[in-house]
Amino acid sequence: MAKKDIFYKNYIYSISYDIVNFNATRDIVFLHGWGSNKEVMKSAFASHLIDFRHIYIDMPGFGNSNNDQVLCTQDYANIIQIFLDELDSKPEVIAGHSFGGKVATLLNPKYLVLLSSAGIVEEKPLDVKIKIALTKILGKLGLKEFTKIFRTKDASNMSQNMYETLKNVVNEDFSEVFANFSNTAVIFWGINDKATSLQSGKTIAKLIKHSTFNALGGDHYFFLKHSKFISEIIDGLD
Amino acid sequence: MYKIAVFFGGMSYEHEISIVSAIAMKKVINQELVFVFVDPNREFFLIPNDKMRSTLFSTGEYKKEPKLELSQGGIYKRGLFGKSKVEFDVALNLIHGGDGEDGVMASLLNFFDIPFIGPRVEASVLSFNKYITKVYAQAIGVKTVDFIKINKNNRNIINPKYPMIIKPCRLGSSIGVSVVKNENELDFALDVAFEFDDDVIVEPFLNGVKEYNLAGALTRSGIVFSIVEEPQKVEFLDFEKKYLDFGRSETVTSADLSKELVESLQENFSKIYLPKFIGAIIRCDFFVVDGEVYLNEINPIPGSMANYLFEDFNSLISSLTLPHNKKININYEYVNKIKSAKGKL
Repeated sequence: MAKKDIFYKNYIYSISYDIVNFNATRDIVFLHGWGSNKEVMKSAFASHLIDFRHIYIDMPGFGNSNNDQVLCTQDYANIIQIFLDELDSKPEVIAGHSFGGKVATLLNPKYLVLLSSAGIVEEKPLDVKIKIALTKILGKLGLKEFTKIFRTKDASNMSQNMYETLKNVVNEDFSEVFANFSNTAVIFWGINDKATSLQSGKTIAKLIKHSTFNALGGDHYFFLKHSKFISEIIDGLD
Repeated sequence: MYKIAVFFGGMSYEHEISIVSAIAMKKVINQELVFVFVDPNREFFLIPNDKMRSTLFSTGEYKKEPKLELSQGGIYKRGLFGKSKVEFDVALNLIHGGDGEDGVMASLLNFFDIPFIGPRVEASVLSFNKYITKVYAQAIGVKTVDFIKINKNNRNIINPKYPMIIKPCRLGSSIGVSVVKNENELDFALDVAFEFDDDVIVEPFLNGVKEYNLAGALTRSGIVFSIVEEPQKVEFLDFEKKYLDFGRSETVTSADLSKELVESLQENFSKIYLPKFIGAIIRCDFFVVDGEVYLNEINPIPGSMANYLFEDFNSLISSLTLPHNKKININYEYVNKIKSAKGKL
């Protein structure tokens, strides 16, 4: 584990990261999903892709990278870009899971690997809609404290700034960003993904001109079981 | 019978190692033991002997055990009918790294006048920071390996020579330590080290160097030395390897060394130990290059107290010399004098 301090918008962000295969010349960056961290990505891919130098990053507010600011997805992309510049890395491939997929797309790599990426706004189930409506009413009545009981499990242990950050990123529609991505993308999806639906994956594949789509068995974390297959496809890029 | 209170845990990167060490003590020490756990929030808990398992701590179950508080002369358990003193003869500071080896526990135990086995404040200061250890060694005529010190704001190494070894100044074990073989690995290794400390020491990595560990302590019959151990090393012991090492309770065989070399190691040990480390069982790790002895580091609270290096660890513990807590007689003499001269104050 290592940490690098980077400076962005008047704040110092301590970015925790790890590198595998120091002496390889092609770089691949792995970006984890919301509530996850670099160790999850590392456990899937560290033993594969031996021709790449792997860069695993904890994004601010996750794993060992702290954050006390309210950020949006573009901020995350900017921070990661500054970090990669500091590292003197021009990654050929950036792989992003879920929320990390959105950040990866904004970084505009030569090869984009999306693992059940977020970015397509999903139709919410009715009970969620009711909770949101109630929360908004309670908020207007000045009863903000009570709204905490409606927060997702993810959010209940979250600091206020990360909760605000989550609100910033969760309903963003990235359709246009995907449509404007002109490099090559390889998209992998878990068939039984409940967090980001298979349908969203197909939509992203349609939006990105140069893309291939692979539906694999499993849920939102399907890649943990298919890392060898995914790595073989990444190895075959170029 | 001698009753020992083992203090372990602490707010330290080596918190978990300390738990492993404490469990090892249960097997090794044949005196009566009381276990005092310092949790990550620095609260004290009394852990019954039969519950000393690592999962008690990882699951947070320990919080159900009685809380303790330190106060003048001892540690106390709060009950229905006020405070009751936890009885023991001596405390054993078994907190590795921060809180244990940096002088925090030493200060606390000293302040509350609790007799303890472990490094005193000055000894902690000398051994906790690798840079200060080097300065101390130089002052007392013990050789150390050449080094340069860099810091977070000026991490430039002029004329780097590979392989080199990079160590945070203030951490025990091998946390944050890396061997750097070439330029590609340097930046990352520095980011690893600077995560733990703003000051870092860079030394040449001496390939094929012999490493010897010698433990000892001052007892009523003089300094008792352990056998000299040659730790097995792949390249150097990394954190996980050392972690396993901390649970050791079997004895090891002595390294096959000339009498001269053993005496030279013991002589260097004594220079380091006396008088600052009295009261502690320490392990000094030495390098030997061309018959010359170099101090690598001082472990004032070695993993599982280096028990496996001693022939008779139990008699060592019970005959250890502890420094006296110097008492100052405060009798308000001056106030009384002035008062009698002026009539009132």
